[in-house]
Amino acid sequence: MLPRQIKGEVLVTHKGFNAYASFAASLHDGVEEARCSDSSNKELYGKNLTDKIICLSKTIGSTSAGAVWQRVVKLGIAPKAMLFSQQIDSLAAAGLIVADLWGGKRICTIDQLGKKFLESMNNGIQVLIREDGTVEIQ
Amino acid sequence: MIDLENLNINLTQEERATLEGSQGPTMQKVMETVVLYGEALRAEKLVDIEGDGHFVIPWCTPGVAPSLEMLDELAEAGLKTKYPFTLDPHAPIDFNNLGLSKDVEEKIEEMYQDQNRYDERMLQLGLRDWEAYTCNPYQPEVGNIPRIGTIVAWSESSCAVFANSVLGARTDRNGAIMDLLVNIVGKTPLVDLLTDEGRRASWLIEVKTELLPNPQLLGAAIGARVVADVPYIVGLGHFLGAELNPETLDYLQEMGAACATYGAVGLFHVENITPEAVEQGRDLLLPGHSSQIIDDKALQELFDNYPVLWSESEAEPEKCFIGCPHLSMNQLTWWVNKIDKALQSRGKDRLAIETVIFISPQLLHKFELDEKKYRRLIKAGVKLSASCSETIYETGLYSGKPVLTNSNKLRAYTSARFFPDEELLEILVTGEVKRDS
Repeated sequence: MLPRQIKGEVLVTHKGFNAYASFAASLHDGVEEARCSDSSNKELYGKNLTDKIICLSKTIGSTSAGAVWQRVVKLGIAPKAMLFSQQIDSLAAAGLIVADLWGGKRICTIDQLGKKFLESMNNGIQVLIREDGTVEIQ
Repeated sequence: MIDLENLNINLTQEERATLEGSQGPTMQKVMETVVLYGEALRAEKLVDIEGDGHFVIPWCTPGVAPSLEMLDELAEAGLKTKYPFTLDPHAPIDFNNLGLSKDVEEKIEEMYQDQNRYDERMLQLGLRDWEAYTCNPYQPEVGNIPRIGTIVAWSESSCAVFANSVLGARTDRNGAIMDLLVNIVGKTPLVDLLTDEGRRASWLIEVKTELLPNPQLLGAAIGARVVADVPYIVGLGHFLGAELNPETLDYLQEMGAACATYGAVGLFHVENITPEAVEQGRDLLLPGHSSQIIDDKALQELFDNYPVLWSESEAEPEKCFIGCPHLSMNQLTWWVNKIDKALQSRGKDRLAIETVIFISPQLLHKFELDEKKYRRLIKAGVKLSASCSETIYETGLYSGKPVLTNSNKLRAYTSARFFPDEELLEILVTGEVKRDS
């Protein structure tokens, strides 16, 4: 959807990713990294999301999330990529596209990677994402 | 620049021309954003928006709003939404009503120093009027009430789910900023909740409780279970009746807000109550749908497992925020009467805990005219605000404070501690949270 060639470390969540709740504590000026602030997501709570490759099924929660992505891109604390096992949801699509066209930096976004993709991903794995959308475990 | 030759979405000649710059470079960029959005959602085409908007971008703070630079760019190009729009509540700058400490007030002033400029831009871009700020825009006092079948493009998850489910309008769950952009174009991707097929239910939720369950807990349970799917809910009819009366509207509004917060629910059907369920019944259920029973035990477990996120878990509560989303007149009247009765029965004049109730500006004006009720509430120590309680936490200075709330939505996004209304009322009167709560 938003192609880019990058390498990075994986973080996985099998729950819906609440973008607003996850980044809420990191939206102020001067923040150097985004630590997940969503206490309902035990897989990611407290973990550093900056420069990570986040593997998820879909995003949930507040429609405010649309603006969150523009902000984290501007602050330089955004993840490198969002890899969706399902078709991307409207909130994530809106936010990531706006961040791309109006925020000036791309968060690589690929969707419909499949359930097996998500099952094969674990925290800490290094992956390479190519421009054509293929994802290689390093 | 978008590659017009490799688009899957079908565009009209006029839409293509806009993409090629026929309406200027800024509109071209807006159109590109909307078309890419439609592509990402695999929309067949864009369709016309038919009614007023409601957006989740009332504050100038970065991270929850378009940047001022972006708004300047849009306004300078002379762009405006096709129809007027309402916005979520004002920032918490009505300090007289909030009882905040000096450091929090100073932080808020700093955060919202550009709010006036932001509000002016919103008016230029199509905001209905200076007071069109509430997360409950479909109250009669506010009047943003799209008719059944009307295509709109709303954001604010609690509003989108209400518009779809209870009003029978058709909107997708639009994200912040995209809400404004699609309404400037006047078109939205034809996907999901705008289509008959997308509005069918893939979950049958059976509510099996002894009494009418708390809507905010029920909504949270449903949302967490179905996530973004459409649930068809049965088992509420014998509690609520078949009519969409004010109590039922309030119940469904609270339930929907929680569904949308704990999941990504954009539409629910309630058997015999919501318009599409009344018309189509269980024909709305997709073949092979999933099923889930939600009972008292499940709801009690959900509530019991909510962590206490106060810095000191045993602290005396200092404050209470009621109304996220904003209360309706019916809900406000409930609190007025209940507080009055509870205080009288204990021979007290005032609540033990400083309480702020959040309502729309229109409702605030209306309520102030009922001098008797208004004075009773103020005498009890309650303040009224037309702002947003959640934004107080965005200062970063409120996290961990011993705040109570009746809102499971506020609980999800902050460290406020949620209690159902009756239980919360008891705490507000006595000042005590029971140790096993």
